[in-house]
Amino acid sequence: MTIRELIKRALFIEILQGLALTLRTFLSRPVTVQYPKEKRPVSSGFRGRHAMVRDGLTGKERCVACMKCAMVCPSQCIYIKYSGGEGGPRVLEKYEIEALRCIYCGYCVEVCPVNALVLTEHYEYAGHSREEFLFDRDRLLKNWDDFWAQKGGYFNKFWRPTGIDPKRLPVGKR
Amino acid sequence: MEIAQGNDLYTEELTLNMGPQHPATHGVLRLVLRVDGEVVKDCIPHVGYLHRGVEKLSEFRSYPSVMPLTDRLDYISSMINNIGYCIAVERLMSIEVPMRAKYIRTVLAELTRISSHLLWLATHALDIGAMTVFLYCFREREYVLGLFEELIGARLTVSYPRIGGVRCDITEGFLEGVKSFIRDFPRHIREYETLIDQNRIWLQRTKGIGVISGEEALRWGLTGPTLRGSGVNYDVRKKAPYDAYDEIDFDVPIGKNGDVYDRYRCRMEELRQSVRIIEQCLDNMPQGDILAEEAPELDMNPKGHRVLEGEFSRWGASIAFTNEYATVPKGELYSAVEAPKGELGFYIVSDGTGRPYRLRLRAPSFVHASAIPRLCKGHMIADVIAVIGTIDIVMGECDR
Repeated sequence: MTIRELIKRALFIEILQGLALTLRTFLSRPVTVQYPKEKRPVSSGFRGRHAMVRDGLTGKERCVACMKCAMVCPSQCIYIKYSGGEGGPRVLEKYEIEALRCIYCGYCVEVCPVNALVLTEHYEYAGHSREEFLFDRDRLLKNWDDFWAQKGGYFNKFWRPTGIDPKRLPVGKR
Repeated sequence: MEIAQGNDLYTEELTLNMGPQHPATHGVLRLVLRVDGEVVKDCIPHVGYLHRGVEKLSEFRSYPSVMPLTDRLDYISSMINNIGYCIAVERLMSIEVPMRAKYIRTVLAELTRISSHLLWLATHALDIGAMTVFLYCFREREYVLGLFEELIGARLTVSYPRIGGVRCDITEGFLEGVKSFIRDFPRHIREYETLIDQNRIWLQRTKGIGVISGEEALRWGLTGPTLRGSGVNYDVRKKAPYDAYDEIDFDVPIGKNGDVYDRYRCRMEELRQSVRIIEQCLDNMPQGDILAEEAPELDMNPKGHRVLEGEFSRWGASIAFTNEYATVPKGELYSAVEAPKGELGFYIVSDGTGRPYRLRLRAPSFVHASAIPRLCKGHMIADVIAVIGTIDIVMGECDR
């Protein structure tokens, strides 16, 4: 051990350096966000509570019951029942999302050919019972209305992902 | 009153249960310790408390739908799990990924490595007793997660890459964020080192603890920084390059003594190398497509993926499907990537349908957990915590 090292050890130099750094940080601006009082803004495309888009023209949902979202869902939490088909248009009878099983991968939003489904930027939706998280069609539309009233507009970059040739997207998404 | 002397003194080995809900075992790891006083004589790790059957679940999902499951393996470096899985399937289907997608993936993989190593450093230091490092590391980690959120809308379970490319192009805001991060981050690494690198408590807790020689580490199957701390130069990014790593210049930090301190040094240097890799990727980022032409659709049929004939017209009038399915080639394939923890391997057996017949995961945490008894035998109970920290296990990946 050299003299220099000995002095360093005796004077607790490395500990003092650490303490100096702590003091510097103590005097700098805090990075903590005091959550319930202030909220950090979520970025566009955040995957939060589910909603079904209410079509401006018809006032109903856009879903065409193509079953793609139910097929692609990795946790299989989407239940769809429809009537019709075979030449005529399919009529949606039941559309349910079990939000407690959802893993928020966003595959359903991405695969939907008519942009009927979104994961909104709303993330505070704790509840008291499991039933509250079985989103049926009316609840999903209501989620959309709530979100629309709160945000006043919506742009989802995953409806038409940047950098992908629009020709490769389904017709409803171009 | 007589006091028992010498050989008459009654001593007994004590069996102690550490975990599964112990805050320092990084998840639900249960260790059964046989201790003599405070010295660990034997240690049996019990794993499986977080078993979710990912391998079995993936046999019932089409190849693209398996990917969100891989997020949940090593949930603090989910991007690299996604990339590893996508690379395995791409190799199986012989899909050539566009250069831009490769570079984007490399940037994101390194950002994930930084965030994972930051969490490792934070918790490892916290376990040993350095609270301040924990707070500082989470400050920077939060920034990286914020970048992920801006890019893809999720912070941890990203599901960003796609088989054959990535989901969406990177934005200007994201690029600016990454640039400002790699500008500031080397200063932050020096901050962490100021706090603990020469700190005498840190040195006493880490030097000479959990020593394993390079040869023995190889025999235990250790990989990643845990192996490199023992002086073995093995890195999947160098030995079997994937994505853009073969076009990028970076060093693989190697330790010497194979103790907890050397592994700590290795990971700290890896943080610096990650910054270097990101810098080079941003400088050489090519333009172009981000998803390969032959990439399977997200709603790929489990039987195979549909072949479209003709084109979608603007009005959707002349859509023609053939009833044939272009199936995935039959065969078996092992493909590995360098995850922050070690070599993450995917072994896929394909029977020609659109879902894996068998998907076997080589999770580094599982292999590393088996080395815990070897590393902590003969040390104190408090050093078991240091050993668990140094091999950097995540139980989500270990139990799968």
